[in-house]
Amino acid sequence: YSQPGSNSLFGLLLLSLALPGAQALTPSHHLSLSDVGRLQNLLNQEYTDLESAYYSVVGLSKLGAAVPNPAQVCQFLKSQLDPSSVDSLFFAAETSQAISGCEIPVSNETREILLAAVSEDSSMSQIHRAVGALSSLGLPLASQEVVSALTARINKEDNVMAIISALQTASRLSQQAELGGILEEIEDLTARLDDLGGIYLQFEEGLEATALFVAAAYGLSDHVDMEPPLKEDQVIQLVNSIFSKKSWDSLSEAFSVASAAAALSNNRFHVPVIVNTQGPATVSHNQPTLQLLVTDVMSQPLNSADVLVESAFAVASKSAVLNQEPFTHNDGVFELNFMSKKPASGYYQFTIGVTGDSRLVANHVELKVKVSTEVAVTNMDLSVVDKDQSIGTKTTRVQYPSKAKSPFTADSHQNFAMSFQLVDVNNEQELTPHQTFVRLHNQKTGQEVVFVAEPDSKNLYKFELDTAERKSEFDTMSGTYSLYLIVGDATLENPVLWNVADVVLKFADEEAPVAAQPKTLYVPKPEIQHLFREPEKKPPTVVSNTFTALVMSPLLLLLILWFKLGANISNFSFSPSTILFHLGHAALLGLMYVYWTNLNMFQTLKYLAIIGGVTFLAGNRMLAQKAVKRYVS
Amino acid sequence: MSNSVVSVISRFLEEYTTTTPNKLKVVDAYLLYILLTGAMQFLYCLLVGTFPFNSFLSGFISCVGSFILAVCLRIQINPQNKGDFLSISPERAFADFLFAHTVLHLVVMNFIG
Repeated sequence: YSQPGSNSLFGLLLLSLALPGAQALTPSHHLSLSDVGRLQNLLNQEYTDLESAYYSVVGLSKLGAAVPNPAQVCQFLKSQLDPSSVDSLFFAAETSQAISGCEIPVSNETREILLAAVSEDSSMSQIHRAVGALSSLGLPLASQEVVSALTARINKEDNVMAIISALQTASRLSQQAELGGILEEIEDLTARLDDLGGIYLQFEEGLEATALFVAAAYGLSDHVDMEPPLKEDQVIQLVNSIFSKKSWDSLSEAFSVASAAAALSNNRFHVPVIVNTQGPATVSHNQPTLQLLVTDVMSQPLNSADVLVESAFAVASKSAVLNQEPFTHNDGVFELNFMSKKPASGYYQFTIGVTGDSRLVANHVELKVKVSTEVAVTNMDLSVVDKDQSIGTKTTRVQYPSKAKSPFTADSHQNFAMSFQLVDVNNEQELTPHQTFVRLHNQKTGQEVVFVAEPDSKNLYKFELDTAERKSEFDTMSGTYSLYLIVGDATLENPVLWNVADVVLKFADEEAPVAAQPKTLYVPKPEIQHLFREPEKKPPTVVSNTFTALVMSPLLLLLILWFKLGANISNFSFSPSTILFHLGHAALLGLMYVYWTNLNMFQTLKYLAIIGGVTFLAGNRMLAQKAVKRYVS
Repeated sequence: MSNSVVSVISRFLEEYTTTTPNKLKVVDAYLLYILLTGAMQFLYCLLVGTFPFNSFLSGFISCVGSFILAVCLRIQINPQNKGDFLSISPERAFADFLFAHTVLHLVVMNFIG
């Protein structure tokens, strides 16, 4: 265990050699004091069985909270104990160890039952509880046998919770036993953690598994005095995963978080550091000290630590302003009087180092500190300048916060000009805040126009209003406008809204005065009438009728030709099949018409089948008769 | 040149009127009727436009289909072609003609809209 001083020096050397962009991970979640209170409240609830009693009492003791009514708890344990159940014995025994002066009676049968449970045929959970009970009850156990049982069991039960139970069991065994194999499981489990975005590291089994793993890993590592194979970033990622959830579903989950919190704040190897400012990270003339709270993950202050600013530089100019400046410890808070260095207003990037303990993890923190100040408006000069510069300008100086006595008049031949300076009240430096606006407000119509005042190279602010050029912004509304100066910035403690003067503007080509209408953005728009699809243009009826006649006319021609040829129906035989055929044929033509007007294909096919069938049969008969007649003749 | 064309035509017409049996002339008149009807429909389409296109198509295809079926009938009942159609009597040809027309009219009616 090396000297803490040399260790921190070595650490600083490494940091200075590190690439300028490399940033160690710092915790984004931890248990604040209110979180710890909420966890305690959850653990403190009424319980009716031994398991809940175990989680409640042992959890509270891990958080360092007092267990209420220890005598009553002891009574409860003794009354609820079932001496034949390994689980019951485990809960009772472990809980009794957490409260002082509680002895669970042990009989020979109890010992036999517990020792019998330690074998490779029992589940890992059973082995863990048996060993825990034996250890808490002060009963002897053969550590090497337990180790062989655990090793055999690990091969059969490969899941995360089982191996965590193995780790917990191993930390109750004698230090002389061969625990190396079990110790290696920590590294295997670490490889099974899921990395989420480089911020979180957790088991897919959930929060409880992750928290119990952390508690078990550090418990076993402390027991054998060997550093766990967890890198610093991994430890911080585990911290983020475990403490990101601020309300817990079950007693066992709360217990696991309490165990992890206790393990991470008090083990021999890795103690994550949480650095927060007390209040906002802002210093000013009135509040010159930067106050830091340096705690462990359970928000317990690390009073023995040394906190210093390793470096600080201004964000805007990148000039260094602090180097190796220590904080003073003042009643649990670390303080630094930053304003004594007389920094200019703006943002500063601090790198803070926490030293004094070689176990500290994530002990270099980046912090952005704001230095705010107050602004004063000086040398405010207003003037009306003629465009052709023939008449000399008369400048009026106005003192903040009063208003110019008489209004200024500017018409289209004149410009209205304004110049001023903004200085830092505390160090007389010129400032260039983010917001420097000039607002002109028409008193009658309520219309307002805002312009930006720009600084020149000497940081002198100038604003010029060309009446003719800018008339569109004013909607050419002449009248009296109140002129306001607006100054604002994140680093200013006193933003300025100052009614400097009244300005009477006269525009040429003035339209009829219209009251300023609010922008018609949100009124209902004109209704869109739906345009139905227009039917296609049809040719005029005359044309259609003409062509209908033209198309029908060849029929007339056909009849004439047939008549001329002497086609006749003199051979018409009035046999039934003939009549039936002709009727059927006529029906078919009728069906075609009905199909066109009313029916669909399926119905038509149905009728067609019927009528067609009849017609076919009749036609067959008729044509056969005709053929016979032809052969005979 | 035109002289020989005129003489060919007049000779053709003379032979046609004398040698063609009446039955065939009846079918020929029917063919002419179908042709003229189709031509009239096509003329309408050219002059006035194709709206509605489906109706034009069904009407025109009806004419074309009827023409083809009538030509088939004429070939099959021509006594001079009897050698080619030994198994098909004129009655059978007519029955085929009627059946094909039923199918054609079914399609045309479906499409006429």
